[in-house]
Amino acid sequence: MGIIKITDIQFAAESKVEGSVLYVNRDELKAHILEDETLASCELDIAKPGESVRITPVKDVIEPRVKVSGEGGVFPGWMAKVKTVGSGRTNVLKGAAVVTTGKIVGFQEGIIDMCGEGAKYSPFSQLNNLVLCVEPVEGTLQHAYEKAVRLAGLKAATYLGKLAKDIEAEEVRTYETPTITEGIKLYPDLPRVGYVLMLQSQGLLHDTYVYGVDAKQSLTTMLYPTETMDGAIISGNCVSACDKNTTYHHLNNPVIEDLYARHGKDLNFVGVIITNENVYLADKERSSDWSAKLCEYLGLDGAIISQEGFGNPDTDLIMNCKKIEAKGVKTVIITDEYAGQDGASQSLADADIAANACVTGGNANTVIHLPKMDKVIGHIEYVDKIAGGWSGSLQEDGSIVAELQVITGATNEMGFNTFSAR
Amino acid sequence: MIILTNNPDVAQTFQDRNVLWVDGSYRDVLIEARDMIHQGRRLLTHPLMGSLKPNETPYRSVAVSSEQGDLDMDSLLLIENAIETFDKFAQVTRPDRGVNTPERMLADFRLIDLSLIESALEDR
Repeated sequence: MGIIKITDIQFAAESKVEGSVLYVNRDELKAHILEDETLASCELDIAKPGESVRITPVKDVIEPRVKVSGEGGVFPGWMAKVKTVGSGRTNVLKGAAVVTTGKIVGFQEGIIDMCGEGAKYSPFSQLNNLVLCVEPVEGTLQHAYEKAVRLAGLKAATYLGKLAKDIEAEEVRTYETPTITEGIKLYPDLPRVGYVLMLQSQGLLHDTYVYGVDAKQSLTTMLYPTETMDGAIISGNCVSACDKNTTYHHLNNPVIEDLYARHGKDLNFVGVIITNENVYLADKERSSDWSAKLCEYLGLDGAIISQEGFGNPDTDLIMNCKKIEAKGVKTVIITDEYAGQDGASQSLADADIAANACVTGGNANTVIHLPKMDKVIGHIEYVDKIAGGWSGSLQEDGSIVAELQVITGATNEMGFNTFSAR
Repeated sequence: MIILTNNPDVAQTFQDRNVLWVDGSYRDVLIEARDMIHQGRRLLTHPLMGSLKPNETPYRSVAVSSEQGDLDMDSLLLIENAIETFDKFAQVTRPDRGVNTPERMLADFRLIDLSLIESALEDR
């Protein structure tokens, strides 16, 4: 992984990366995005750390990356062929992101503040963001609009990533996963640890895609951890701003990062098991049975399980935990909490004695006060109508009183956030 | 299979199937489902589907089995936990629980509920 640090982003006559500055030709990128006939308009804006800017309603956040060597391309199944990714070298524009916004449905949600109280809670407040506001042609249905916004974000990130293809990165990070048999030979005495990554997969605005496949249609399966770094998993999950896994999270999964940091030292990181979170209860049974079966088959000693979303996925989480523990594999779960504004209520909608090791991303019901921002990118009128806001959330002075769940990424269940879990 | 719903779009879409119309709230749908579980039916879909919080959307659809057997404890635990979660969220007043909510937003809440139950029941 070649790390190209970006400390500034500007509109310019030519798109390029020079030093640590990302220059974007606004008209060229706009024309590229508007090739999609579903879209009527696309506005591009820039939001940098420390600016008095509020972005809302945020749909997805995506980090620009490009394949320099190795098979396939970034975002396989969408922006590249479905060839298996995860090998060779990938360049990353670290410090930059594409943020998509759009009022796909009326109650939309997700705030990123670039300064003030809210900036403490979102990792994306620290990035140099290129923000896309895309509007569909009249009569476009919500399903089609959601897809168009999703693809616009991937297109923009791919466009920016390609600017870094020929840059020699100063910092290079190496991630290696041996095959199962190699791993056993290399680290015979180290505990074998796997990562069970749960993917939101319930329907409109609640979906995740793996190599272009809707995760709800897939059985539980395995990935090399490095595949996630090339965009094998992308987010179409637009609900529950605080604890959804954006595409940026999938590209920068902190569980994978930390397991690699300890790989070969005090544990053997065997691989990633991906499993879905479907609404139909028989699907939950099947998917969690398969998670447990794969953990057993891989001879794991321990598994880390991360969840995505609220309510229904609590049941998948507990099923996975119970069944994997029943195979003799120790588990740690990562979740977040809806414990009421006073933090005194039951945190999850489901529980079990097997879930006795738990990391929390924080209480999403915590009340916060966000100051007025000078500039809003997107649509502020929805603040009263988003999860965690309530009638009167938007104050007369332009400030917002709401629950932490309004902030994109605030209580992320991979433990990416800065709120806690570190 | 019986589909319990207070969402007119779900009732319309599944009109050729066994729909039990619940003329009431999200919570009323959960209570109806609980009563049917006590009569020996099993839950087929998760009562808290979707990431919209129970104090956000006024609509709910749940599928239970037509067949009746012994009391299914897993179903009972799920529905009781769902009701408890609903009541926890209900303590915080929200503008958008069907009262004073613009029609466009209600339509979107109906659409999400319909999409989730459709994707759950597709081909079943």
